[in-house]
Amino acid sequence: MSGRNPGTDLDLEWLSKVRVNTQAVLKRAQHIQGLKVPKKQWQTAWLLKAVSCIDLTTLAGDDTPSNVHRLCVKAIQPVRYDLLKKMDMHDKGLTTAAVCVYPARVADAVKTLKAANSSLPVASVATGFPAGQTLLQTRLQEVHMAVRDGATEIDIVINRTLALTGQWEAMYNEIRQFREACGDAHMKTILATGDLGTFTNIYKASMVAMMAGSDFIKTSTGKETVNATYPVAIVMLRAIRDYFLRTGHKVGFKPAGGIRTAQESLVWLNLIKDELGNDWLHPHLFRLGASSLLADIERQIYHYVTGQYAAYHELPMA
Amino acid sequence: MADCTNRTVYEIFQSMEEGPAAAPSAATAQAWLDHHSRSLGFFMEGKFIRPAERQTLSLADSTGGVLCSTACAEDGDVSQCASSAATGYKSWSSLACSQRSKALLRLVSVLGLHGQCLSELCALCEASCSPSALVRLLQYYSSWAQLRDTLIPGWTSLGVVVVVSSDDCSLYSLMLKVLPALAMGNSVIVVPGRSSAPPALLLAQLFTAAGLPAGALNVLTGSDVTLGAKVSQNPNVSYIAYCGNKQDGLTLCKASAGMGVPVSVSPCIGALCPFIVFESADIDSAVDEVIQVAFKKKKEVHWVLCVQESVSDSVVARLKLRLAGMKCVALSSEADRGLVDAAVQEAQQQGATLVQSCSASPSGAQYPPTVLCGAAPSSPYVVSPPPGPLLPLLTFRSNAEAVVLGNHSPHGYAASIWTEDLTLALETAKSLSVGSVWVNSSSVSDPCLPVSGHKDSGTCTDGGQEGLYQFLRPSFSSPLPRSSPVSLEYSKFGTEPSQPVIPDSPVGASLPQSYLQFVGGKASKSASGCSVAVQAPGGGSVLALCPDGGHKDVRNAVEAAIKVQPGWMKKSPSARAQSLYSLAKGLESKKKEVSASFCTQLGVSGDEADKEVELSIARLNVWAAYCDKVQGGSLPMPQSGAALSFPEALGVVGIVLPDKHPLLSMVTVLGATVATGNAVIMVPSQRFPLPALAFIQVLQSSDLPAGLVNIIPGNRDQLTAALANHSVIRAIWYWGSAEGCQYLQYTCTSPLKTLRLFCQKDGEGSDAGTDWAQSQPSLLEDCWRNAVQWKSVWIPTA
Repeated sequence: MSGRNPGTDLDLEWLSKVRVNTQAVLKRAQHIQGLKVPKKQWQTAWLLKAVSCIDLTTLAGDDTPSNVHRLCVKAIQPVRYDLLKKMDMHDKGLTTAAVCVYPARVADAVKTLKAANSSLPVASVATGFPAGQTLLQTRLQEVHMAVRDGATEIDIVINRTLALTGQWEAMYNEIRQFREACGDAHMKTILATGDLGTFTNIYKASMVAMMAGSDFIKTSTGKETVNATYPVAIVMLRAIRDYFLRTGHKVGFKPAGGIRTAQESLVWLNLIKDELGNDWLHPHLFRLGASSLLADIERQIYHYVTGQYAAYHELPMA
Repeated sequence: MADCTNRTVYEIFQSMEEGPAAAPSAATAQAWLDHHSRSLGFFMEGKFIRPAERQTLSLADSTGGVLCSTACAEDGDVSQCASSAATGYKSWSSLACSQRSKALLRLVSVLGLHGQCLSELCALCEASCSPSALVRLLQYYSSWAQLRDTLIPGWTSLGVVVVVSSDDCSLYSLMLKVLPALAMGNSVIVVPGRSSAPPALLLAQLFTAAGLPAGALNVLTGSDVTLGAKVSQNPNVSYIAYCGNKQDGLTLCKASAGMGVPVSVSPCIGALCPFIVFESADIDSAVDEVIQVAFKKKKEVHWVLCVQESVSDSVVARLKLRLAGMKCVALSSEADRGLVDAAVQEAQQQGATLVQSCSASPSGAQYPPTVLCGAAPSSPYVVSPPPGPLLPLLTFRSNAEAVVLGNHSPHGYAASIWTEDLTLALETAKSLSVGSVWVNSSSVSDPCLPVSGHKDSGTCTDGGQEGLYQFLRPSFSSPLPRSSPVSLEYSKFGTEPSQPVIPDSPVGASLPQSYLQFVGGKASKSASGCSVAVQAPGGGSVLALCPDGGHKDVRNAVEAAIKVQPGWMKKSPSARAQSLYSLAKGLESKKKEVSASFCTQLGVSGDEADKEVELSIARLNVWAAYCDKVQGGSLPMPQSGAALSFPEALGVVGIVLPDKHPLLSMVTVLGATVATGNAVIMVPSQRFPLPALAFIQVLQSSDLPAGLVNIIPGNRDQLTAALANHSVIRAIWYWGSAEGCQYLQYTCTSPLKTLRLFCQKDGEGSDAGTDWAQSQPSLLEDCWRNAVQWKSVWIPTA
């Protein structure tokens, strides 16, 4: 993995110059959705790329060791072995990018993966996920403990109160502390864009999160009413590009919430490719936060390999 | 890429390439072409006609294979087509508005069935027009067809309209002329360019299926645009509308000079358009948009990226990143590659730096998208843009300089401006001399937007209600008389010296009165110092002497006019109205003198003269009232946002006045032009100049800015030539000889002037031509609508 984003000093002047034209962004999003997606083996290869970028996620109140165990095993073998073999992809080490769970389930996930001799990273949401409305001290403690339990990636949520009231400096300082608490674990910062109101705010929040040293910026928790949308993604990707142009550091991007179909995942890949280029089409710079997406992708791959449409029960569940 | 079909999944997984683009299906269109044996003929009398033994032109598809051939019309076909259109006009124009509207709407449902065939055919022929855009056009114009008599009372259809397009013109631009012409009740002969010919033929067929009467829409193909002029020789043709590249437009103007058919030109292809990015812009969105429009395979306009100096580095950095992943763009031919290479090489020699997606392959008909940084307005690739995906980038310092940069070109088609500052956007939009301004967007077209190409970019208004009047004439007026072109030595026109005035008055006779011209707010002699004699009615005695104006007087008048016109246009409409009211008052106070000159000139009774003066005073008052009634507004765009239209003055208008009603006609056209913000240079009737010259004293005592109205009497042909040869003059209204009309249409092509030509015959009865004394509203409407050009501004919002 290339060098992490060390962050920069908070540059408020840079923030003040941010302008986003809403209709132009919406038009661009429509254009992206109208782009042709690849067909035949190109489509399959792209879908496998999408699989390799998935943070296979379960974030529910009724998570127990047993469904986390199932999730981890699926993450290690995301596509049926015989299907991969037909494409000569069985020995390429294809897994999802990570599994993503609540802090209390990190230990379960780590245990399962260790038993299976897998080095698949375990990501944990933290900092009062999803609302972030707990005290700073508790949120920091949460990060520490998730890391202690073996999470190597931490998905933090920002403090929306600070973002909405324009207290960028305070938000910067909080994220800085989270980053320190993460240590070697990679930090993905969830902006909860559905709560931020305007594109300009999303751009500014993205920028502050990157200045504070986020390795990834992530659209949403999956718990807001509006989750990962293409216009929001365009704004965030532009912020990533802007940050790269100014500092030379590549920050990753993770859309999450509401991504369910193989077709959508292809549009996401198209979007990343168009806005940022092929460099970002790797798990170390692009993640898809999803749970049911994998099943649909596997069905598409089944269709490519066999020419038949699979019933869900023909493919192993997560 | 040759073996790319053998790529394994793993290779693609690593490279993340996109794979070959699937060729779009064209089965339906191919089947239609096969049905016509790939040899297309003409469409007239409601059916396809494929006469044998015509010359043919073959049309190639994008891979270079022969798609089909089109026939070249011969004289017999031309006259058959014209009579088909004449018959079609009878049945089409006799329908009720609602029936015409219905026929246009029915085509929408026919397109629902056969839209696939049409869009495939358009794609094959590279004459882009999406079916949804066509449906929008049809719905818009069918509603105008329905409401013609309700909302545009006092106007009627012209007759047979010929719509001509050049080879590179899109089907959409063509239909933007054809549909309003049909909606207003005209029959149409389409003379399409090569690429739009097959889709135009298909559309004609679909129209007939939708219930258009036979002959209402005809398609005639030939080898070039001069076929349009050939068709227009037919006496049934009353208007020629052209869209396409400028060169072919000029050819058409020249070829049809002297026929007495008005020609309008919309050079929508090949214009140079500024893409202005201010520092207050959403730069990422601006960069995305410019990349999308500037590197199309088939681009209709040439964009020039103008970036504020303070943000040029960040624009260039983004361009570099975004271009990196882009593929080469196919050129239309191998020959274009040579032009592109030469232009890029020249640019580099002049110090331009390139931003390219990849370096160009040594040969082949394709080229990577390329930004030429460090361009200047004087760079050859900016002045005359080469083909291919090249985008010059130049920088400006201030908001005002952006406008200067954007306006400093002979083109006035469109501009795209990017800023989040609303005030700046509106100020810039108002100051740019272009037909369309797109704020934070580009290349948006819709039939509800009235657009007149400014400067060299057009002589008519398309779109909106304003664009319908080119296909209408006031109901009271009779169709323009037709004439045949005569052989005319254009360079000699107006050079014949005037009859010199020599002292030969018999002893004791009173000396004829001497009049002055009015230039730059001063009454003076002509620059040449010579005079011409004004004959009494019926000939014989010399009534008066007036200055013999020439090109120097016209030049002086233009200098004076161009100084004051922008300020006059900027004045509030009510201030303009006050000036015109006081002009009317001034005429009232000088009533006696003006009336006397009218009596002397025309040898009519004092009563008649008084009546003419009274009418003239009333007319000036009407124009004063019109000043704040000529207005734009907001337009009903289908997308969300604010679409605004503004009427703008043409600039300096030259008018050669009619013989008829020498005073009333003069104040009518003077009022129309000045009320709408123009400056005017008028040449009084050569036979009856005295009332106009007497009017000078009224002008002298008025508060109109000096130079706004100029009156130059003298030899008509000489002054016509002088007006024609001054590039600042944007429009000429001409009442005069057939030769003069022919001369103007032939000459006023570079730069383009908007012409209104009326042929009057010397010694004509007083009942011929326009009745200036009538009170039909359409008389004045016709005048002011021709004195303005429209600009539409589109500000999209979320």
